[in-house]
Order: sequence, then C-alpha cells, then structure tokens
Amino acid sequence: MSTAPKSRGPVDPITLAVVRGALETAQREMTVTLEKTGRSSVFNLAHDYSNALFDANPEMILQGQDIPIHMGSLIPAMKAVSAFFGEDINEGDVIYHNDPAYAGSHIIDCCMYKPVFYQGELVFWTVCKGHLTDIGGPVPAGYNPNATEIYAEGLRIPPVKLWDKGRRREDVINLLLTNMRARRDQEGDLNAQFGACRVGERNLIALLDKYGIDTVRACIEELKSMADRQMRSLIASVPDGSYTGTAVLEDAGHGFGEMEISATITIKADTCHVAIKSPPQIPYFINSYAGNSMSGIYLGLMMFAQLPPPYNEGLYRCVTVDLGDHGTLCNAKEPAPHVNCTTTPMETLTDAVRLAFEKAAPERVSASWGHASGINIAGRDPRTGDEYVTMVLASIISGAGATQAMDGWHSRGPLCCFGALTSGDVELLEHSYPIIVHRYGLIPDSGGAGRYRGGSGTDWEVEPIGHDMTVVAFGEGRQIPTQGTAGARNALLDPKLGRITITRADGSREEHVKNLITTIRPGERVRNRNPGGGGYGNPFTRPAEAVALDVRDGLVTVEAARVEYGVVIDPLTFAVDAPATQALRTAAA
Amino acid sequence: MQGKYRLGIDAGGTFTDFILAEYPGKIHLFKAPSSPQDGTIAISNGLAQISAALGVPVETIIGEADLYINGTTVALNALIEKKGVKVGLLCTAGHEDSMEIRLGHKEEGFRYDADYPPAFMLVPRRLRVPVNERVLSDGSVRQAMDEDEVRAAAELFRREGVESVAVSFLWSVANPAHELRAAEILREMLPGVFICTGCEVYPQIREYTRTSTTVVNAYLSPVMGRYVSHIDEYFEKIGARHPVRYFQSNGGLAVGGTMRTRAVNAINSGPASAPQAGLFVARPFGIDNVITVDMGGTSFDITLTRNGQTNLNKNVDFLRYRIGVPMIQVETLGAGGGSIARINELGMLEVGPESAGAMPGPVCYGKGGVKPTVTDANLVLGYLNPDRILGGSIRLNREAAIEAIRRDVADPLGISVEKAAHGISTIVNINMVNGIRRVSIERGYDPRDFALICAGGAAGMHICALADEMGIDTVLVPKVASGLCAFGQIISDMKYTYLASLPMRLDGVYGEQADVMARLTARFAELEEQGRTALMSDGFSDGEIEFRRSVELRYLGQVHECTVEVPAGPLNRDRIHAILTAFHRRYEDLYTYSEPHSPVELVNLEVTAIGHVSKPRLPDLPVGDREAGAALTGRRPALFGGDADWQATPVYDGAKMVGGNHVAGPAIIEEATTNVVLLPGWQATLHVSGTYLLTRTGSAAAARAQQADAVPA
Repeated sequence: MSTAPKSRGPVDPITLAVVRGALETAQREMTVTLEKTGRSSVFNLAHDYSNALFDANPEMILQGQDIPIHMGSLIPAMKAVSAFFGEDINEGDVIYHNDPAYAGSHIIDCCMYKPVFYQGELVFWTVCKGHLTDIGGPVPAGYNPNATEIYAEGLRIPPVKLWDKGRRREDVINLLLTNMRARRDQEGDLNAQFGACRVGERNLIALLDKYGIDTVRACIEELKSMADRQMRSLIASVPDGSYTGTAVLEDAGHGFGEMEISATITIKADTCHVAIKSPPQIPYFINSYAGNSMSGIYLGLMMFAQLPPPYNEGLYRCVTVDLGDHGTLCNAKEPAPHVNCTTTPMETLTDAVRLAFEKAAPERVSASWGHASGINIAGRDPRTGDEYVTMVLASIISGAGATQAMDGWHSRGPLCCFGALTSGDVELLEHSYPIIVHRYGLIPDSGGAGRYRGGSGTDWEVEPIGHDMTVVAFGEGRQIPTQGTAGARNALLDPKLGRITITRADGSREEHVKNLITTIRPGERVRNRNPGGGGYGNPFTRPAEAVALDVRDGLVTVEAARVEYGVVIDPLTFAVDAPATQALRTAAA
Repeated sequence: MQGKYRLGIDAGGTFTDFILAEYPGKIHLFKAPSSPQDGTIAISNGLAQISAALGVPVETIIGEADLYINGTTVALNALIEKKGVKVGLLCTAGHEDSMEIRLGHKEEGFRYDADYPPAFMLVPRRLRVPVNERVLSDGSVRQAMDEDEVRAAAELFRREGVESVAVSFLWSVANPAHELRAAEILREMLPGVFICTGCEVYPQIREYTRTSTTVVNAYLSPVMGRYVSHIDEYFEKIGARHPVRYFQSNGGLAVGGTMRTRAVNAINSGPASAPQAGLFVARPFGIDNVITVDMGGTSFDITLTRNGQTNLNKNVDFLRYRIGVPMIQVETLGAGGGSIARINELGMLEVGPESAGAMPGPVCYGKGGVKPTVTDANLVLGYLNPDRILGGSIRLNREAAIEAIRRDVADPLGISVEKAAHGISTIVNINMVNGIRRVSIERGYDPRDFALICAGGAAGMHICALADEMGIDTVLVPKVASGLCAFGQIISDMKYTYLASLPMRLDGVYGEQADVMARLTARFAELEEQGRTALMSDGFSDGEIEFRRSVELRYLGQVHECTVEVPAGPLNRDRIHAILTAFHRRYEDLYTYSEPHSPVELVNLEVTAIGHVSKPRLPDLPVGDREAGAALTGRRPALFGGDADWQATPVYDGAKMVGGNHVAGPAIIEEATTNVVLLPGWQATLHVSGTYLLTRTGSAAAARAQQADAVPA
C-alpha cells in the first residue's frame, strides 16, 4: 500500500484500540469455550467451527480467524435470520439455523445466534457456527453422494428459537436431536455453542458497562470504516479493467463430466465487481447455494488481499457480487442437493476468483492449495455398544501453495479451511473411535513442482476394530492437480493427485478417484491420499541444493528431482551431479 | 539446617539478578550483565559485587550458604536460537511426520507470507526413523517390535553424528515395553548419546504432544547438561558444600542430575518463580490470590495464583512447539520500558512488541536510540526523575524524548506531545491488560479477586493504571520488585511432578465401585512413592516431604479436561462425590453452563512431590508513624491524564521511609531500582515487611488497610 489512509474518525484513537481488543478477546474466548467443551471430535479435535460478532444492523463487526468457508456465509445468513424474526427478537432468545435457503452453508453446519441486549435494547449478536457430526438423513455424517434432492440429505433447520425469552424449548431441541445420530455428541456440541455465545455476551456486556453504548458504537463504526478504507486502497492500486479466471471442476462421480466455473472481476477505481458463471445445477451433492458461494468468493479475495486485521463487514463494502443465474452450480436453488458444497465446488470457485485476481495483479500471486478429499466413518463401537459417526479431519489435510518467496507449508490445507482446522491427535481418535490409524504422514512428490515447491499432502490409512465400518468418501482433487502458478509445472502427476485405496481382507486393492460409500470390515483398510499444494515458478530454476535437501528428507524422489526439477542426484550420497544437472537444465531451456 | 546466607541467581536475557539473604535479617539485591556464552562469568561478577559490598570473601559466602539456586534461560535461549543438538527420532512406522504435520494447523488465520514460515523442525525428516511395532489403545501389542530396525536406526544415527535420540511410539503411555526396549538397544549401541523416551518424559495420552515434548527434551537436554556441569563445577571450586539447585518451569527446584535429563522441564525457568515470590510478599497481608506482573525492558510476564495454588499449564504451544509437561503459566508479551511507539499503516498508535532493548535503548538514554519508547513517555510525563536513574549514572535527556514523541507520534496524529506521551503509556497499559485478561478472565477468574504484585524495574510506573483498568483495588510493590524472580527462587521448595493416565468413568455407580476407588488410591500411592524416593535421594526426610494430588476430568466424549484437587488419603465415596461436585462447579465458572447429569470421565492423575526447604527469615523495617514527611525530597510536575493537567507531585525517597509511613496519591516514590507512580485516588502504606501496600481510596481494601495501619504488631 503506497499512501496509508489515516484514521480521521471522531473516536479517540486510544479508546478505539481498547474496543478493538475487547471485541477480539470476546471472539477468542468464544473459540476457547468451543474447543474445551465440544463433545464430538469435529469440534474438540478438528476445530471445525467459527465465531463472529454482529451489531444490531446486523453487520459483522468481528470476523474470527476461524474457518473461511463458514465466515463469508455468516454475513447473509445473519441478515436472513434477523429478517425472519423481524420485531420478534427478544432478550433471552437463542436462534438456531442451518438451512441454505436462509444463506446457511451446508446443513451439517449448524449455527447459533444469540441477540445481546443492553438496557432493553438489541445491541449485538454473538454467533457460533459449527460442523455437527450428523444431521440425520439416510447416510451417517450427512454426506450422501446418492442424494438427488436436498430433502434426501438430512434435516433442514430454518431459523428456529431454541430459547425463547430465556426459556429453553425442550420440545424443539428434542425434535432436532431426535433426528440426529449419536445424539449425545450433538447435544454436547449444541451446549458448547450455547456456552460460547454466552461467553461472548458476557464480554460484550462488560465492554458496554465500561465505555457506554455510544462510544462503543462509534468505535465499531470506525473499525468498519477502517477495513473499508484498507480494501478500497488496495483495490484502487489494481489497474481498472475486467479480468477473468476459469477453473475446471473434475467429475467426482456424478457422470456429468468436467465443468468450468469462471469469475470475472471488474475493477473500477476503488470498487470491485465479481461476476460468477457456472453451469446449471445437477442432481448431485455439489451444488452451492448463495451463502456458501459468498464464502468462496471472499476467500479468493482475502488470499489476494492479505490484509491485516481488523476483519469485519467493512472489508466487503466496495465489493459487489453477481453469482450468476439462479439454478446454476454456484447459485443453486431448491431442491438441489448440496452437502459437499463447502469443499466442492467452493474450492474451484475460489480458484476461479484467485485466477482472475492473478491476471489483475500478477505481482501478488501465490499458488493454490490442495482441495479437500475426505473420509467420514460410522458404525457401532464394540467397546460400548454405542453408535458413532464422524468426519475424520485428519483424512482431509492437503498441502498449501507456494508463494513467490516461500515453499508451500506441508499439510496445512485444504484450501477451504486455509490452515484453521486441526486434524486431531491420533491417540485421541483411537481413544474416541474403534479404529487403528495405520498411517498419517506426508506424501513424497505430492507438492507441486516449482521454483518454490508446493507443500506436501497427507496420506491417512485406517482399519476398524471389531466391527463393520461405513466409509463415505467425498470431495475431489483426485483427477486435476492443484493449480501452480508463474511457470510452475508438474511432470509426475500421479503423486500429486488424491486417491482412495481400499484394501480388502483377501489382500485385493481397489483404487478410487470418485466418491463412494462402502463398508469395510476388521482386517480391511481404507487409505486416503490428499493432494499437495501448487508450485510457484519454473521448477528448473529451483536451486539444485534445495532439491537435494528435499530428496534427502524423502519429500522428493530421485526420479522427480530429475524429471520435474532437472536435477540429477546420486541416490546413495544425495550429492548433486552438477554437470548432468547443467546439461538437463540447458536442454530444457 | 540453615546457614548464614542463601543465594538466588536469576539469569535473565539482559541482566542476571542476585538476591542474597543474609541471616538473621538482610536482603541484598545485585545485578550483573548476563553472559550467555558462559554463565559463570555473570555469576562470578555478581559474587564479586556481593563480596565487595559485604566485605566478605566469596568463598566464605558460598561456604556458609545453605542453598544456591539458579534460574536459567539456557534452555529457552537454545530453543529460541535453534541451538540445541542434533536429534534423531525413533517412532512408530506410519507416524514419523506427526511433529511436522502439527495437527494440520496454521496459527494465524488469513496470514500466509514468507515472513511467517512453518515452524522449524527440531528433527529433520531424514532423522525421523520409523520402526514397525504397534500397541493399541488398550495396551495390547498388535505388532511386536522389529528390533533389527531399531539397530539399523542406531547405525544411521551413529553415521549421522546424532547427539541425542527421542523414542516416541504410539500408546507407549498404555504399554511402555517397546519404547523401553528400544531405548535399551540404543543405549547399548550408542554410548555417550542422550536417549529419552516418551513414556518417561510425558506419560499421558496424546501422541503428538508426547512426541513433541520428548523431541524438545532431546534437543535441549545435552545443552542443559553441559551448562549444569559447568555451573556445578564452578560452585564446587569456590567451596560449595551442597549441590546447586536449579529452577524448573513447574515452579520448583531440582538438582543438576534431573536437569540434565529433563531440560524440557526447565524451559521457562526464570519467570516461573514469580508466583512463589508473589505469595510470599502477599502473605503478611493475608492475601493468597495474586497476579504478578513483571515489566522489564523488553517483555512483560504475567502469572496468576489462586488460593495459594500456582497455576500450571499442560499441553500448550510454547515458541510453536507443543509442550505437555506442567509449566507455570506465564503469559509473556512484548511490552516493556524499551517498547517502541509508532503509527501503523492504518494511522493507529501502536506500542511494541518491537523494543529498543538495552542497546540502543530509549531516546532519553542518549545511547543512540531514536525511536520513542515507553520509558521516554514516562520521562515526559514526569514519572521518572531525570537526575536519578540507574544510581544517577545516566542523566536522562527529556528534551530528546519530547522531540522523538513529537515527530513520531504527536504530529502524525495531530495531537499534543503530552497527549501523545499519555497515549503511549495508555496503549502499553492496554496491551498489558489484555495479557492479564488472558490469564484471568479467559480462564474464568475475576481479576478483582486478586492483588496485583509489581515486579521488574518498569512496572511500578504502570501498576496503578493496570489496577484501575482491571478493577483491582489492592496492589503490592515490594522493595525488591526489580529482582522478584531471584527472590522467588530462594523461597521455593524442591518439586517433582508425576503424571499417569488412567481413563475411567467416575460418575454415578461407576465412581462408587470399590475397585475404581482402590485403583485410584493405589495409583496415587505409586506416584507418591516415586516422589518420596527421589526426594529422599536428594536428602529430604519424611517430615519435609509433602504431596499434592489432582485429577483431570471431562464429560465423556470431550478431549479437554478440567483439573480438580484431590485431598490426601484413600479415596472413598464422599471424596469421589466431592471431586465430581467441584468439577461441575469449575466447569460452569469457565463456560457458563454445566451438565450435572452427563457421564464424567477421569483421564489423568498428577502428584506433585514437594521437598520443603526452610524459608529465609526476612528483616523487618524500622517502624515509624503515618507521616512520611521526612522522606519527601521535593515536587515535580507530572501528568496523569491526557489533558495537559500538570500536577506538582510530591516525590518521596523510599530509602528514607519507615514501616507505617503513609503517602496519598498523586505521588512518586523513588526506590533504588524502581519508581512507584501513585495515581490520584490511590494511597500507599509501607509495611514493615518491606512492601508498599497500594489501595484505591474509598475502596474496601483501603478500609482494611486503614484498620491494619497499626501494623507493627
């Protein structure tokens, strides 16, 4: 940023800093509460939840640094929920919602909204969205590749009050929980969300007590303006014009073939218009309703912007969005099935936006991250006789993209989470579920080749103990490798792609590149390999010593060093054969 | 048996603090520049100062001392600077990358740039060697260990010149046989190489935490071992009659032999003594809830102690490495006298974490610093005496400080220099307050239930403001504030922590089963026996040994626990019931709700074995009346608000004050190594124990202080 915009608001800069810190603390304490109290592994090990604060408008006044796929959709969802109840929002209410028709992301992400009243007036909302481990429907854990309609995916929850003026509505809560598997986990997670919302509320009320409502409001307005000024100043630095990025979505099992999603961004002075074009929606669970698509677009924008906090709705004031025709893949309408949407097609949509910005401002480019390809498991735990169901986040960790000055981080993806997940300790997983995790490691040659190498993807393999286990594989990244940039190119495609392998009791192996539901028995294993991140720049310009070090560390094979990087390495000593390397690289130049 | 002296040496980043208790009644505080290359240089310089000041030879002081205690940053610095040894890791096949995958998490949200690289790997991937073996969660062996692979790994480690090996297998906490056998083979084949195992270093569930902790221990222990040998030899040479005791992150002492094999237990050695010191300072006032704040030149360390029980953390990220073993929770942030004030890209005032440090230092030191710091602001505001700092050896340049603040803060913001200086002070206070919130409010403790204990050279000028922000109405400022951690070391006990994992249901009928109670009782007894054996070999007798016990509980299905204290003696029905009640209550305090009807699971046990060390008797000050006029040295203008309301503020010489003296704010009390700024609305009374009791006028605490004013009883 060349010319720094200065604070010119009417607010005392000192108080402004205090209020900003207090909002961040409120949000962080909500996150800590969820982590410590969450009951399912998706909450307490994977941190697949996000918190935000809204004002009475309701505009997002603090976007937590949680899961990007949750955050963007919260903005329209909060507005839809608030509009649904209109005047009927009272002190002591707690609202719950997951329905994409009200801008929810996917139905397994259930969101709690608690209006915060001060001296009788609605001032804030504390909001907490989390991925439950089940939401009813025919397939445990909610991902049903066979669904052709949203009605076949699970329980839709339009905005509903769980607490009404302080009274817990057991009837409604019971209705919801009755429709979910592993009820105790879902109930525990619902309680955790309630605790988080109340911890946030406790903090906000203390803030209002201290500084008064007028001062706090003035500070919040200034924080929103600040975010707005930051984004505008960045957009203004991009040359005016229209730029289009197109990304290809593989066929993960629906049979409709590859599909293109394109994003055209139009920069005019300090504003940015994003127009999405995607094919008509299909009867397969990868349709994205409007709320979820906003998350994908905002993530692409933020990967490009790399702005420092504060993060709030002000960031997006100068950005307008056209999601394309209603009834298309990225602007779905009922009854499109959708549960896979937070990863597929969201990550391809993000790539399209990222590519468009790459054309607009090539100097800020970084490579893409590995897309999500994950495993859900379910069954009956022979140790307790209880039914269990969960998404295994350890199975979904892909590599991060390289930048113009840094190799991609290993195992920080998928793109849609941008490192905010945690995959969970292997012992805690084996303690919580009747499984043996045989493998959880980095995959050689999986990082995209480039002057800067993409981060490695991960390899995860599991076996059920003493019971038959349902396995659901979802996502993609098994046919099209992660996008590299600035001249990056891969010669060895196979290790860069995701893959599901099932080893049967008789030793036979099935390899899958498409989604599936299956059952495996004790002695059988399912293995999921996740893609690495994209590379940056021509791999033949990567310093030979850096390649040799990767070979020594087993991240790159001798073969890949030669064909992808043009570096010849002695497999015993790991020494670089300089003349041979020179010859290879010269020949390629 | 008490000797004539007791010596505490806290080697910090910039200065090494020495506290010498001289019986029957003097406390001496000295400082010498730290010597990171060879710790004995700073110690030797400090001892020379002490010897000169007391007129007693070093050998006599050492020979007649009952304890010499060393808090050290050796492990911390080695970890920060990545100067540990070359480590190999032996691990379960298929899991050699857990320390690099780091649970797949990136700490900072949207941030992704080259200035924020992945955490540095303490063991490169080529030295993480898989072994085919597998134990399951119930402790059963699924696959026997391939010993040939262990031998092949040993060969590799030998070829690679590895100096230290961590052995960490899955579920070694449930069945350590494979780890122990692997370690045995490695020890045979690699004499002189340091070997440690996960089941010994951190015997609790969580493979990633255990592996990471074991690796950090392997990385640091040989470094710590060399340091300890060097210090031990030095003390022997100068006539020590007892082994040097070292300070651990758990707030207790250990002998060199322990430090050599468990360096991970001493990563945060220095600041971990603050809680002990804080409790000691607060005891004469009947206070056992304390928050210590230590503000030096660069960093600000906070600890919280409740009901006299120090606050231990487990399983936390420290310098980006997951550490399982209990550490006194010390919240550290970049806020100190040297913290630099600047206007950021958004036009907002920021203070720290960048620090001018000791060199070039604040602008007013005239040693080349050009960026305005907190100390510069304090000088401009009149809190510091330009003629009287560092024993009068430097005259502070107020004009230069004003100019720097004008240029870098006031003009860009379009405000006056006074307002800017006050803003700098306020922002650094807010940063510190947010840190205090993290250890108090975020953990469910109301800071208003605590006394704030002032430590470090710079804290006295901010302490009233911090207390005001937190709503705290009792502040204690000991005269030894600037060396409080060294002081904490000489009043600490030996302390070893023993952990065990024993997952079981505890609610309802489960907790009432005789075998559950018997297993718990037996496991506690085992851990206590380990502690008793260790302390007895350190020379403690039964009567000097105490045990503290706790359990970690959670609702079934959760993976994070709440800690609950367990009273001594066999566990019976009533005790189990009391433990459960305490758990539900604590949970509700923290998270606003509890689930009294949900199943509760016990996960871990912990026993702390304490070898009580006699506490030094401390001197009382002479006693006088309330009137402190004899110590008044004059008045100078000082500013306590942002609105140019300069007040002619009385200045007192602390050295001339006596027990019972009373001062009303606004006032400034100047001590040899610290300044106390008493804001308007605050009052101070000097207690005979050498501690200023600061209370807010009109508060309940002030009323209590008033009653206790006839103090010298």
